[in-house]
Amino acid sequence: MSKKILVVDDDPAIVDYLTSFFKDNGYATCSAEDANAGFEAAKKELPDLITLDLDMPGEWGPRLYRKMSQDKDLKNIPVIVISGLSGNQYAIPKAVACLKKPFDRDTLLKLVRETLGA
Amino acid sequence: MADEILILDHDKGHANALALYLGRQGAHVRTASAGGEALALCGAKAPGILLADPALPGEDGVALLAQIKQSFPDTYIVVITARENLDRAIAGLRQDVFSCHHKPVGGFTLEMALKNIRELRDLKRKAVRCSEELAEMNRARFFLKQLFDEVPCYISVQDKDFRLTASNRLFKRDFGDKVAGFCYQLYKHRQSPCPDCPVASTFEDGKRHHTEEVVTSRSGEQYNVLTWTAPIWDEEGRITQVMEMSTNITQIRRLQDHLTSLGLMLGSMSHGVKGMLTALDGGIYQLEQGIAKKDEARVRRAHEQIQAMADKIKRMVLDILFYAKSRDPQFQSVDADAFAADLAATVRPLAAKNGVRFEEDAGVDLGSLEGDPAWLASALVNILENAVEACAYDKTKAEHVVEYRAKSLGEDGVLFEISDNGVGMDQETREKMFTLFFSSKGSRGTGLGMFIAHHVIRRHGGTIEVESRPGEGARFRVIIPRRLPKSAAALAQGAEGPAATMI
Repeated sequence: MSKKILVVDDDPAIVDYLTSFFKDNGYATCSAEDANAGFEAAKKELPDLITLDLDMPGEWGPRLYRKMSQDKDLKNIPVIVISGLSGNQYAIPKAVACLKKPFDRDTLLKLVRETLGA
Repeated sequence: MADEILILDHDKGHANALALYLGRQGAHVRTASAGGEALALCGAKAPGILLADPALPGEDGVALLAQIKQSFPDTYIVVITARENLDRAIAGLRQDVFSCHHKPVGGFTLEMALKNIRELRDLKRKAVRCSEELAEMNRARFFLKQLFDEVPCYISVQDKDFRLTASNRLFKRDFGDKVAGFCYQLYKHRQSPCPDCPVASTFEDGKRHHTEEVVTSRSGEQYNVLTWTAPIWDEEGRITQVMEMSTNITQIRRLQDHLTSLGLMLGSMSHGVKGMLTALDGGIYQLEQGIAKKDEARVRRAHEQIQAMADKIKRMVLDILFYAKSRDPQFQSVDADAFAADLAATVRPLAAKNGVRFEEDAGVDLGSLEGDPAWLASALVNILENAVEACAYDKTKAEHVVEYRAKSLGEDGVLFEISDNGVGMDQETREKMFTLFFSSKGSRGTGLGMFIAHHVIRRHGGTIEVESRPGEGARFRVIIPRRLPKSAAALAQGAEGPAATMI
């Protein structure tokens, strides 16, 4: 079964981009447009990897990360931060990687493959 | 200094005797016995005093003396002649001689005459010097007055009660020239002295003080001024008055503000720009994949995405350009009916795309407005688009509607009313929505749109009101008056001054 990636971003265009890109490369995907929906989706889908935007209306990306790290089912899911905020590597220190928007998709794919080992 | 005396007398013996007498008293004395000789000696060195007997054989002595006086006006002439010649000499030389005496002249008389001449000469010199000094002082006073008036600062001189006892031209121009008016009235339109007044501090300690103030001119304009005070002392060293000098730094402050917010804008904007560029990358990726896989539906979707992103970037760049003031306002008469209809046409497709019903009631006998149609359109489209987006965002209702109404208020202007049943706003959002860079849309907003809308409406002398509650949608009421305010009209004519700065 293919590995599943959860995309959390408030911009539908970017969600569409990322999910299409992951699907084209053989991954299953699901998505959420804010932190709350992201938490619910993570609980339900138990993805193998999450890409996370930091600056979203409502709950902030780092809060979602903290919430997940307190959840036994979710705390070990690797997270790749994809955000437009500069200095984003400090917001979530334990993230696998931090990419700045606009990101290079080959770099992203390489990171995903390394993380998921497939 | 010794007197330079020339003695002219045909009687050489008399001349020599006088010369000896005067020489003993310390005078430099020369003698001549004929008119030609006297003229030559005067020419060599004009004497201060000429003692002359005009009775010269074969010569008109009276005419000669008149000629000498004319040629050497600083020479004082004393006539000493025989008693019978005296009347004729006086008659002929009335204006030209200092005094006339008959021979033999008494020593005391002669001394008195010479003393009077010396005194008169000193007085005359003094008078000349004084009038020269006076002229110099007048020049200096004129110069100082000119400096006082022409200095590009506001200068006022105040007494202990802050009454103006003098002010310069620039001050009078911008703050009026009410004699003995109070500083706080003229500068700040206050009824009592200002707290922390630098003039009061200078009266207290005799030192110079400075502050930065915001003052209001008589035409109601606000200026930022940098103010310095200095004491004015009387002869006994008491501070009787204080001079206050204020430099208008409004333009510098405005420029600073503008640059600061421009910097802020670029900083906060970069985030939104990154999001848009990423989404654009996404569109291009979808396009590539669609073409590679010959998936026409995907190509079409990619095209839509790229189109939408290009529109967004376009709007944002236009917002930035607006803010950076690369475009001057072009005020003109606007046909409000056509304008209102154009607005509806601009927003209709966006509403349709987001599944939002768009109800219009606009474009009937609205009359005309004064304004910049591009600016006004940008302001109102911003509000309309926000309304559509507020609906698109809202997941709680099955059906969404944006109502758009334009209505004539007669002479008062035109009312544009835009309401939606979208997500609505909480109090904080409502209060902050018109400030620069405030966005409730996360990475999708630049924080410029409502700021510019508010700014444009205010610039046109209009008003904007918002009613909203979270979850219950929002209602905007924008009123644009028929006539531009004077400040905006002046701006359009390229008037001088800081009014040309948009922000």
